[in-house]
Amino acid sequence: MGLLSRILAAFRSDIKEVDLFTQGLGYAPADYYPGLLKNMVLSLVSELRENHLNGFNTQSRMAPERVRSLSRVCVPLVTLPDFEPLVEALLTYHGQEPQEMLWPEFFDAVNEAFLLRKICLPVSAVLCLWLRHLPSLEKAVLHLFEKLVSSERNCLRRIECFMKDSLLSFPLQPEAACHPAIFRVVDEMFRYALLETEGAPEVLAAMQVFTRCFVEALEKENQQPKFALKTYFPYASPSLVMVLLQRPKDIPQGLWHRPLKRISEMLKEIVEDETQGSSGGPFESWFLLAHFGGWADIAAEQLLTSVGDAEPPEALLWLLAFSSSPGDGPQQRAQTMVEVKAVLSHLGRLLGSPTPSARDLLAAAGESGEGDPRPPACQQLTRRLLLNFLLWAPGGRAMARDVITLMARTDEIMHEIVGFLDQTLYRWDHLGVDAPGSRKLARELLAELRGQA
Amino acid sequence: MDSLLQHLERFSEVLAVSRTTHVSTWDAATVRRALQWARYLRHVHRRFGRHARIRKALERRLQNQWKQEGGSGPAPALGLTNFQALGHCDLLLSLRLLANRALGDAAFHYLLQELFPGPGVPGAEEGMLQDSLALLARRRAAVHMLRSGAYRENPVLQEDSLMKTQAELLLERLQEVGEAHAEGPGRFLSRLWEHLPHNNFLKVTAAALLLPPSSPRHQEEESELGSPRRAGEQGRELLHWLLGKSEVIAAFCRNLPAGLLTSVAGRHPEVSRVYLGLLTDWGRHLHYDLQKGIWIGTESYDVPWEELYGRFQSLCQAPPPLKDEVLTTLKSCKAQDGDFEVPGLSIWTDLLLALESGA
Repeated sequence: MGLLSRILAAFRSDIKEVDLFTQGLGYAPADYYPGLLKNMVLSLVSELRENHLNGFNTQSRMAPERVRSLSRVCVPLVTLPDFEPLVEALLTYHGQEPQEMLWPEFFDAVNEAFLLRKICLPVSAVLCLWLRHLPSLEKAVLHLFEKLVSSERNCLRRIECFMKDSLLSFPLQPEAACHPAIFRVVDEMFRYALLETEGAPEVLAAMQVFTRCFVEALEKENQQPKFALKTYFPYASPSLVMVLLQRPKDIPQGLWHRPLKRISEMLKEIVEDETQGSSGGPFESWFLLAHFGGWADIAAEQLLTSVGDAEPPEALLWLLAFSSSPGDGPQQRAQTMVEVKAVLSHLGRLLGSPTPSARDLLAAAGESGEGDPRPPACQQLTRRLLLNFLLWAPGGRAMARDVITLMARTDEIMHEIVGFLDQTLYRWDHLGVDAPGSRKLARELLAELRGQA
Repeated sequence: MDSLLQHLERFSEVLAVSRTTHVSTWDAATVRRALQWARYLRHVHRRFGRHARIRKALERRLQNQWKQEGGSGPAPALGLTNFQALGHCDLLLSLRLLANRALGDAAFHYLLQELFPGPGVPGAEEGMLQDSLALLARRRAAVHMLRSGAYRENPVLQEDSLMKTQAELLLERLQEVGEAHAEGPGRFLSRLWEHLPHNNFLKVTAAALLLPPSSPRHQEEESELGSPRRAGEQGRELLHWLLGKSEVIAAFCRNLPAGLLTSVAGRHPEVSRVYLGLLTDWGRHLHYDLQKGIWIGTESYDVPWEELYGRFQSLCQAPPPLKDEVLTTLKSCKAQDGDFEVPGLSIWTDLLLALESGA
């Protein structure tokens, strides 16, 4: 114990030449170590940067082996605040060698520290980290998924805030958005996540928020859209992507049916054309559509708000049916479309009646409680239409709560309803939809249901 | 206020003593009291950090220790030297005690327990001290890892980290000493010259004279403390002392590498004047040996031709004001000697010839 304590107490310096001098000044090693470290870091940083700026003819060029060993030395020291400039300089260092000179564990260490918020790095450095070392980006996205799934369920605005505040806001910075590689990697991870979770709503919501933020960032960079699109969505037809990218906000509400029709027609062509081997089947098309989830929701709303006027447009019905169940064969889909048409016409009739009751509504929608023979996707669609109806129809307010109580037979369905309300409000906020009555109702319902949970 | 000042002075003495062998008389209770005082003073620092008047009063009291001439030997036993030190005085005390072999076992064990109580006990204050210690340990480790790993000494001496750090420390000390006593810096520097190895001291002095005008370490804290530390001022003190001591400036010009001196001379015209004066002086001591065909000196301390030439060459590579000054000096010396163009008659002619042939 005695020996151990003495060893522990040895803060003596073994830089002999400095020792005498500093002692003469009355300083102890502990006094000057911080300053010395800072100077050493500055010196190393300027050596690394010089390399970068002057090309390969400067004398002060740091040999690649030294860069490598420096990055190795840094591995345990990455979280020391004094080292931030050095970490940044190493990440942005570009040598003349074709292969990666930095020590692999260095990237891991930096990424760890960054994800745990133990160090702060500028966007350019993080970009370098992710572009040079793919596992770091993957870990960062997984980290985000974990956080999202565990804490931010069912609240799109929070997801958006979370994304914008979090480390994943980095791909959303304008500089990063110009890197198709990063978008593609994140996109791939979303793709797998959706496949693994069979379309979990949280992942879907996160992807939609991500895409939206991403598009905003891309627009800020004033890129020529035609050129950029192919690299971001290589499997999709550029014209389809362009239509999907359109912002409903930029189009008068009365004209929304036009892009919807275009989208529906284009997708239908792709999906139902059996010779199209390269499009990746219906999943790819659905995946693409899912990025821009708002369109399907708008289609549902459009169908509802024009109910009773005329025949619902086939294109919208198709779009709705496809988005809720992409794997259906043409016959199945047709069947779904027929069902939806039926529900819509029932609802249309209810509009006419003076005081519809909750039960009437449910009966109209074919919600027969247990033992509903229709497939789950179809049931979900029906619920969505019903909820839309509640929000838009004049008599909807009165029976909203009753309907919901009757509809929400399971926790999952309740969860779905809350999600729907949240998504609707989120969309209305972003599109600036002017419907004060509906909005008020939606907000009240959402608050009540959330309070109950 | 008065009691605070007394406390401060007493603690500063305690801190000074903590490095000496007197601590052998300390027991655990003494250590505890000392740490408590340290914590109290740290609190004072936090509380009065922005009160210019109080801060000044405290600092003035701390400067008393510079006024004592008693400090013999190379290493002064210093207590607190400025207000900033109050902010981590517990760290300073702990480190000194940890490093002091004279501390008795019982007191030492108490200290260790206070600093490293083990899992699950951190109070806010203790936690901060532990974190500071840990951070310091990490920084020390980092310095050593860098040195053994990827760090190389910078051939340009004034850019070298170790030199820069020593230079910054020197200027910092000079500032404190200067604030205590107008004559302070001069006397302090003379004492350093007496006690420290000359070579390193001269190098550090050169590096200090070449530090960029922005202040060394504490620039970030400048604005919050409101007392600007100007490296320029301390640099001037240093220069003034250097130029006032003929023995020192002679050693400075003789022993330091040519490139370094050129930089210093370029930055400080007063130095260039003295340097040139010395060079011409040294040049005059050489005479021409007809048989060997070279300029040589008679005494062992005479500066050989090669070195003289090397220094002039370096000076001629400096940017304009200095370069022109050097050439003018050489030409006027040559003129004084008789303005010969033939080699072997005037060293100045030969130097100019050699310089022009561009070696």
